[in-house]
Amino acid sequence: MTRTHVLARDAAAIAGIGQTEFSRHAGRTELQLASEAIVAACADAHVDVGEVDGLVSYTIDPVEESELVRSVGLQEIGYSARVPYGGGGSMGVLLHAAAAVAAGVADLVVAYRAVRARSGATRFGDAKVAANVANTHAGTTASQWCTPHGALTPASWIALNATRYMHQYGTTSEDFGRAVVQLRAYAATNPDAWGYQRPITLADHQASRWIAEPCIRMFDCCQETDGAIALVITSRERAATIANPAVAIAAVAGAGLFEQEIASDHYRPDLSVMDSSVVLARRLFDDAGFRRDEIGLAMIYDAFSPILLMQLEALGFCGFGEANDFVRDGNLAADGALPCNTNGGLIGEGYIHGLNMVTEAVRQIRGTAANQLPAVDVALVSASRTGAILTRT
Amino acid sequence: MCPRCRSLDWHEQRLAGTGSLYSYAVLHHPRSPRFDYPVLVALVDLDEGVRIVTNLVGIEPGAVRIGMRLSVEFEPTSDGGTVPVFRPDAHTAAPA
Repeated sequence: MTRTHVLARDAAAIAGIGQTEFSRHAGRTELQLASEAIVAACADAHVDVGEVDGLVSYTIDPVEESELVRSVGLQEIGYSARVPYGGGGSMGVLLHAAAAVAAGVADLVVAYRAVRARSGATRFGDAKVAANVANTHAGTTASQWCTPHGALTPASWIALNATRYMHQYGTTSEDFGRAVVQLRAYAATNPDAWGYQRPITLADHQASRWIAEPCIRMFDCCQETDGAIALVITSRERAATIANPAVAIAAVAGAGLFEQEIASDHYRPDLSVMDSSVVLARRLFDDAGFRRDEIGLAMIYDAFSPILLMQLEALGFCGFGEANDFVRDGNLAADGALPCNTNGGLIGEGYIHGLNMVTEAVRQIRGTAANQLPAVDVALVSASRTGAILTRT
Repeated sequence: MCPRCRSLDWHEQRLAGTGSLYSYAVLHHPRSPRFDYPVLVALVDLDEGVRIVTNLVGIEPGAVRIGMRLSVEFEPTSDGGTVPVFRPDAHTAAPA
């Protein structure tokens, strides 16, 4: 067989989605948040929770599988997996779940992520003075080279890449701001969003304080969020029997490159390019046989606004250095060429570490999104080094 | 292990301590009591080909230019260690 590093087309489908509220103080454990989201996702999929036979999450998720099995009453787990690389690896949960289903080692897989990024023991954006290799909230071991120099946060690590990007192409803070204004406009009409009913102007963006100059202001940052999301993944055949419209995982792939780190990613030759996204796009478009002009919705990982523009370029939606004009021309809007992060993104809706990109794509394809587009048949979800194409079945 | 030749035969290599500024950021928030703000953090491409995370000293944030030539100094850390930092060469400016 030909190896393409992309899972066979339509290997599996998303049959259900579930979530808790997104807040700054959940007031309960990650285990409870995950349990609530899983029960909601199974209800959405019209399946009995006890039938779930596969679990997939992130290596850094705090909810341990045996606790979860006991909490929600799972009877026989056949497949368990965790994916690395933090949020950049988040679409790896779809790859694992779909591959497990396609391989026949599980029939009903739940992918979950539960975070208390705001109220938990460690706030996500806090200054970290010591590298912790067991917890990629603190970056990888590469962060040991950052902490002695005061680069203690994801924003500070990403800023080193973003400044180089600005230098390379002349992109400005206002260019990032225009993308954020669009995200906040979407969030303003999404009741689930942190930014609900709170749109901002470009002037507001430019007046927000510097986090890391000259690239990251406060409004360029995603929100530390408490909450959980669960997805139910099963075969297309089984999904077709479920009342809710199923969403096919039409293609899913990952692309981790030599010397690429997680957030403290400073050792690839050209930091103005998110080159893992270049490889990801090759796999999702060229290898899986999709065209960019088929994409009716793009959900692009926006932990910080510069990486949204950098992914637009790396994924091939515009040329390198052209994302500033692409955004300025309104392409990310609902009536633009590439409606993008229509829930407000991680910046506007909340930071469930990437999984809320999937819930939004599913809702848009089903026709149940808060900011519903006329019709979405094909959606791209890019977490930069992992990603998927989801389609109407 | 050396990721290119898979050798485990390590040794120390003295470097010139010179390089050029690849990227930087002026860090304002959040603040750790261990550092003086704003923190001027930098990526420096050493002339031998190694890129390191470091700090810039002896320059105001507004005068920093990518590509400027730099030389190493060593500064004490708050916990008794020593780290390499870089100072712009007096006679050099960023390439046009």
